[in-house]
Amino acid sequence: MEPTLTVHDLTRRFGRRTALEGVSLAFGRGVTGLLGPNGAGKTTLIRVLATTLAPDAGRVAAFGLDPADREQRLAIRRRLGYLPQSPGAYPHFTAFELVEYVAILKEIDDRRARHDEVRRVLAEVDLGDRAHTKVRRLSGGMRQRLALAQALLGDPDLLILDEPTVGLDPEQRMRFRALLSRLGASRTVLLSTHQTEDVTTLCERVVVMRTGGVVFEGTPGELAAQAAGQVWLTTTPPEGTFWRTPDGRYRTLGHRPPAAVPGEPGVEDGYLLLLGGEQVAA
Amino acid sequence: MNEWHVPDDLRAAYLGGGLPDATAMSVEAHVESCSACQAAFPADGAWLETSWAAIADVVDRPRPRPLTRFLTALGVPGHVAVLLSATPGLARSWLLGVAGALAFAVFAAHTADRSMIVFLAVAPVLPLLGIAAAGARADSLYEVIAAAPIPRTRVVLLRALAVLVTALLVTALAARALPDYTAAWLLPALALSGAVLALGTRIAPHHASALLTCGWLAVVLAGREAVFAAPAQTVYAVVLVPFIYLGARRWNRL
Amino acid sequence: MSPDSDDAALLAAVAGGEMEALRVLHHRHAPWLRARLARRCGDPDLVQSAVQDTFVAVWQDAGRYRPSEGAAGAWLWTIAIRRLVSALRGRPAPVTGKPGVTESAEDLVLRAVEHGDLGTALSRLSPDLRAAIQATILDGLTVKEAAHLLGVPEGTVKTRVMRAKAQLRELLT
Repeated sequence: MEPTLTVHDLTRRFGRRTALEGVSLAFGRGVTGLLGPNGAGKTTLIRVLATTLAPDAGRVAAFGLDPADREQRLAIRRRLGYLPQSPGAYPHFTAFELVEYVAILKEIDDRRARHDEVRRVLAEVDLGDRAHTKVRRLSGGMRQRLALAQALLGDPDLLILDEPTVGLDPEQRMRFRALLSRLGASRTVLLSTHQTEDVTTLCERVVVMRTGGVVFEGTPGELAAQAAGQVWLTTTPPEGTFWRTPDGRYRTLGHRPPAAVPGEPGVEDGYLLLLGGEQVAA
Repeated sequence: MNEWHVPDDLRAAYLGGGLPDATAMSVEAHVESCSACQAAFPADGAWLETSWAAIADVVDRPRPRPLTRFLTALGVPGHVAVLLSATPGLARSWLLGVAGALAFAVFAAHTADRSMIVFLAVAPVLPLLGIAAAGARADSLYEVIAAAPIPRTRVVLLRALAVLVTALLVTALAARALPDYTAAWLLPALALSGAVLALGTRIAPHHASALLTCGWLAVVLAGREAVFAAPAQTVYAVVLVPFIYLGARRWNRL
Repeated sequence: MSPDSDDAALLAAVAGGEMEALRVLHHRHAPWLRARLARRCGDPDLVQSAVQDTFVAVWQDAGRYRPSEGAAGAWLWTIAIRRLVSALRGRPAPVTGKPGVTESAEDLVLRAVEHGDLGTALSRLSPDLRAAIQATILDGLTVKEAAHLLGVPEGTVKTRVMRAKAQLRELLT
């Protein structure tokens, strides 16, 4: 399938710090997860993809359009829904007013169409009954959902979400995943997250970033398979880092401790090993 | 209710309009208070959704902010009015600052040597601070706005216009409280606003505004009344010409 | 409040500002209200706007509903028929007169409803007289409102109600 979004040899520096170095990726329809620790370059990559930050070098193409060109950049933005890491809000606005304001920025100029669309996205994130509550009276999770609502305006073909699950309670997280997997059926959805659980339950593909570069690209299953033969269960506490499992055993990654039996590798194991297997195992 | 319900064929005849009036009345009298028979009426899904959307639109419409209502009454299109009333530069803090600075300037003109130099020096830079606050980067929604398809220049210009008009109106009101009426601040204010917008395309709006404010105050301190004399006013008018030209060309695209 | 709540609970929720409750009420009652209004007005656009106005009015006035005063359906209908009359106001207004409903006729018809003789008696009335009785007594409109609905002057409505009342008394006793 033709990818919606491609980046080639992307580099971006902030002063002397290199945030992205030679990143090449392609994203197609479905939900792709972007995993990585703080400072790995996730947000920089997302901002470049969302056309709010220009790269120092490299090429970006979305729907075959080049964001470096002004007209093409606007054309991309017309098909883009974006949830930034710190979305911000006007606290004295109501939820409805805030989303309506973004709808105007998205050029939905007809009042009736705009109001209908605002109501639709608010209902989509389960905030229909809070439409006329001031933003400053909303809880953190509600504000996060409000920020997601504005990203859904205009039913965009491309959704770019920077840490959308932060601050959501477990029930909202479930609703959110259901919503995204529905959207992902016909659109390109890219989300960055710290939560390997989001990736396991939601993403068809996963990209792992570390210090400005891509260290893994594949399915969640393939990421889990990275840890094959390196997950161990013991009955007594082993050396190094370990955690207790619900059945009272000890789980560790890396070299096989004495008297250990192999454990089932998960996405989290693969991710941890990619980030620094030696430290985990040491 | 009781056990009798409107039979399907009777309801069909009622809906088809073929029922004698007396029988129709009896059907209606029953349906009015029988939830089972109410539910048995066929629902046209598309009609129901259209009807509901129209109701929701009336019921769930937010009360426009006073400023939005005012602008709409002036003939500003609804979406532009909402955009303008959300201008961060128009925040209460800025308006209070403007009022405070003008009050001080008027006070100074009534005391001291009855010189209006404070007023004349302060009035032209008031819009600059508002325009800087309205500049996209000071906006807490900056990143969302940056990714929106609406052209950035359009947002910045509309907001600057809103700030400028507000500042000029407030200043004009304050000028009436001066010992002698003067409009010498008007052209410098417009020229400086135009300059901050032009500079704002090159450097951050708050930097541009700080630079111009300092520059202006330095010039006023050095030149005193000469800055407001006829030759200087001519210079401000000339500075404004390209902005008026560009503004007129772009006006319909705002 | 849930989609299965009864009308009184939904109206209480609407009075408390819950829009979802209004939506449930609308989806529950709009179909039969629409059909009943359509029997009194041939213009589907006017019927639709009357239904919409009804629920907008419910949103504003739900707090006035008292379950002790009757079924919610009856209450909704009194709103709906008046909204239809308002929607019809665009037409040239008939001559004005004093509103008033003939109480004795109402008692008569209601007694007939109980005894089941009404159908026979009503069917012997001429269509004009029947419509006048339906508007003023069964729909509970004032003479003025009935005049708007039927598109005749108020004096005519009064005359027709009186004649219908006389005929019914004859037929039912």
